[in-house]
Amino acid sequence: MLSRLIAFVPRIVARVTAAGVIGLLAASPALAEKPVDVKGDPNDFVSAVADNALEALRQEPAAKRGDIKVINALVEKYVQPYVDLEKTTRLAAGRYWRQATPQQRTDLTEAFKGTLIRTYSGALSRVDEVSALTMNPFRGEAGADDVVVRSSLSQRNGPAVNIDYRLEKTASGWKIYDLNVEGIWLIQNYRNQFADEINRNGIDGLIASLNSRNK
Amino acid sequence: MTTDLHIRARSLRLLPALAAVTLAAGCASVPNPNPDDPWEGFNRNVYAFNDTVDRAVFKPVAQGYQAVTPKPVRTCIHNIFNNLADAWSSINSFLQGRGHDGINSLGRVLFNSTMGLGGCIDVASMNGSKRIVNDFGVTLGVWGFGPGPYIVVPFVGGTTVRDGSAMGASLLADVSSYTPIMAIENVPLRNSIIALSLVDLRANLLDADKLVTEVALDRYSFIRDAYLQRRKSLIAGQQADTGSNVPNYEDPLDEPATDTAPAKAKQ
Repeated sequence: MLSRLIAFVPRIVARVTAAGVIGLLAASPALAEKPVDVKGDPNDFVSAVADNALEALRQEPAAKRGDIKVINALVEKYVQPYVDLEKTTRLAAGRYWRQATPQQRTDLTEAFKGTLIRTYSGALSRVDEVSALTMNPFRGEAGADDVVVRSSLSQRNGPAVNIDYRLEKTASGWKIYDLNVEGIWLIQNYRNQFADEINRNGIDGLIASLNSRNK
Repeated sequence: MTTDLHIRARSLRLLPALAAVTLAAGCASVPNPNPDDPWEGFNRNVYAFNDTVDRAVFKPVAQGYQAVTPKPVRTCIHNIFNNLADAWSSINSFLQGRGHDGINSLGRVLFNSTMGLGGCIDVASMNGSKRIVNDFGVTLGVWGFGPGPYIVVPFVGGTTVRDGSAMGASLLADVSSYTPIMAIENVPLRNSIIALSLVDLRANLLDADKLVTEVALDRYSFIRDAYLQRRKSLIAGQQADTGSNVPNYEDPLDEPATDTAPAKAKQ
């Protein structure tokens, strides 16, 4: 009976790893590619990116089968232009980032990207269960350059999942750098793991450890 | 007398396992101590023990259940248990003074129990009602009790001292989402339903389990940190209105030369 306690931990973890990513990919079905206005309203920006990515996936049966090369290509085309992967990695590394050489920074970002893409491909197996991503009203300040966009992912027969995206306004428009699923922020969840690994084996150890999982 | 013997035989069987866990715990050291997890050495050993038990027993059972039961049936069963949990959530929301959430959850229960055929179909979610997860641990948190250290309980899993005690106390007092099940007088039926709820629980974690293995650098801390973040956000009450709970990551590029200063760490 007590295991109800742990029940939601992995369930939530699943949502972090799966639903959040689905959220980015699986919005309501769009028939044609939507224009993404990188400097416009943050809610519309996230919604357009998500719709386009999902539509591309729907048209690519190899991606649904879990073909990592195809998924990689899709992510590079439809998601990567709108995310700031270096910032995600930098914030996860925290103060250790300052100790890293430029080469290590590049390598770490590249290695972490593998983890994030694996998260995407794992999430794809659940895409069928998902019906729609609805954007919640924007609650931030209008002119802010670091905002949170809130959405909820409804499922066919089950409770909706809350997903938040954290965006930064850069010179080249909005960039997504963190996401929250049911109260759990992605970067926050990697900070201890990064710190532990760096304390044990250094920054190169962390890069190697991430890369060993990318094979 | 027979029950006495039975209990004794049972505990004898458990003893070696528990002894192994306790012994192993003594030898552990942790390279990077975490203030939220002062018992990490012990916890990691219990975690490893739980993982072994899980792989030998619970996971195969859950996989078998998933293999033989059609998905709509599993979803229905899962929703029925969720519906019971919603009733308990509603009571906790009221205890926390979150009347709006309490009424919301109560509405879900009434709607799903009737229109949703006893909870089988989550019609409330289909109509845009958000599920508000809640329990007595969250209530204690809202009342101002701190979480205490993180602890991994044998056979149960990760929790905190506050949340584990809250769960234990509410089960002992028979006020929990299991209360309606415990009220069933037919004992074999009651036990079967409890067993089913456990299998349902584990089966729903199979996908999660696989994903965590694929994306976590260290499963133990991945799960722990997710749990602690989740509990914090439940207590802060950000479920219906997420977004205000935004972490301050202290971008290493923003503040150079604070390396020597003690890390501000957790908020």
